[in-house]
Amino acid sequence: MRDFRNLDQLQFSPSRGAMTVVVGENGSGKTSLIEAIGYLSTLRSFRGSPREALVRRGSDQAWIRAELADGTRRITVEIELTPGRRDRVLLNRQRVTRSEDLLDVFQVTVFTPDDLVLVKGAPEYRRDYLDEVLEASSSRFGVLRRNVERVLRQRNTLLRQANGRTSSEVIATLEVWDRQLAAAGEALVTAREALVTELAPHVAAAFRRLTRLPDPLELSYRRSYDGTLGEALVAARDEDLRRGVTTMGPQRDDLFLASAALDARSRLSQGQQRAATLALRLAAHEVVTERRGNRPVLLLDDAFSELDDAATAGLLGELPDGQAILTTAGALPVGSHPASVRRLASGVLT
Amino acid sequence: MIVEVKEKTVLCSACFNVTVSPLCPICADPRRDATQLCVVEDPRDIVAVERTREFRGRYHVLGGALSPIEGVGPEQLRVRELLARIEADEVAEVILCTNPNLEGDATAMYLARLLRPLGVKVTRIASGLPVGGDLEYADELTLGRALEGRREVDA
Repeated sequence: MRDFRNLDQLQFSPSRGAMTVVVGENGSGKTSLIEAIGYLSTLRSFRGSPREALVRRGSDQAWIRAELADGTRRITVEIELTPGRRDRVLLNRQRVTRSEDLLDVFQVTVFTPDDLVLVKGAPEYRRDYLDEVLEASSSRFGVLRRNVERVLRQRNTLLRQANGRTSSEVIATLEVWDRQLAAAGEALVTAREALVTELAPHVAAAFRRLTRLPDPLELSYRRSYDGTLGEALVAARDEDLRRGVTTMGPQRDDLFLASAALDARSRLSQGQQRAATLALRLAAHEVVTERRGNRPVLLLDDAFSELDDAATAGLLGELPDGQAILTTAGALPVGSHPASVRRLASGVLT
Repeated sequence: MIVEVKEKTVLCSACFNVTVSPLCPICADPRRDATQLCVVEDPRDIVAVERTREFRGRYHVLGGALSPIEGVGPEQLRVRELLARIEADEVAEVILCTNPNLEGDATAMYLARLLRPLGVKVTRIASGLPVGGDLEYADELTLGRALEGRREVDA
């Protein structure tokens, strides 16, 4: 890769089907390395950074190239990232235009200390978690998610333009966007609910092994509406027109985490909440593996920095086989047996 | 010369296609079927439909699709003109040929609701698989839509 974040130029060959540890101090570029590998799959920063931030200062373009091997199949991915322009993506030297085309050939599961927001943060973090797992598991969900976001933008803009007016003209146009939102939104909600049902046993099992708590961690999807979304939108129309925003739909739903029938946020200790986020990531990894039929690459960015030795050993014990790339600022995590260890200092890998 | 093109082109007074005469060649052609009206977003879409040689009716150019984000509501489209044509002319079928995306679908739905009470047949172009394509390589959304719009095989 070239000119990605603070990395001038870097070549990296992780061990195949095994764990590679990258040791580097803060600011050495190890998170940038993980971010670049994640970008190869999703064309997004897992940290949610804007694209401009991904190009090294003083350069107008970042470049990433990767050789992927799956059994005997070899795939070359090449990405040119220029702020203000669409990414130029080549798959085996062929130009592709949909981000789903990359997700179809390469998936990652990322663990970071920031994952704690999955438990502690606002519902949008948990919705994003579900939608990202859906996207990683099938290209059709990427399209669906974008459609829902776009209909919502159209509908919310119309609500604001109406400015409280309820003329027959406004209602006639609103009804059309309601129908579009009802169809796309209901499809997304149904997909999320099916995913939660699939994730739940994996989350419970991983959480039990990580914490040895008697009470299981329970997942439930909470809709923001009763009945069909179409009916709910009609019922909420006056309210929506008054507030200028859509108050029902997938953008208001939540994934509820509970232990012993109580909200995980108040019921679980800080350490147990960390275990809950690890369980969510491990479960996502399993579900994507099941749905895709092949294992995503595990990316663990400084994931052990906030864990004590027991929790570190727990996570290492839970990590499934397959390729894993793990970064750490200090010593190797206790109990890890990486196939290779590389050192990164000031953007230079040795 | 480009200057000349810009100065001479006008919009057809009936269908709003780009033309150099008051009526475009399609609207002026008496052999075109006046009972079928194909509604498109843009004059370029007429060129696309004409290339198929499958359609012998006339056109109506809306001038876009519903999109509140871009400030486009029904008033910004040539909807009133469309209604006037249907009431004045002998239109029996309106074919909604807007793009198969979110905005195009919304526009088609809006027009369908507006036109049905007028007693005119309203149809939407099918969307689905490319001819000569391979099912295995079709994206799920397109294939899903093709399945939704399936029809009986003549036997």
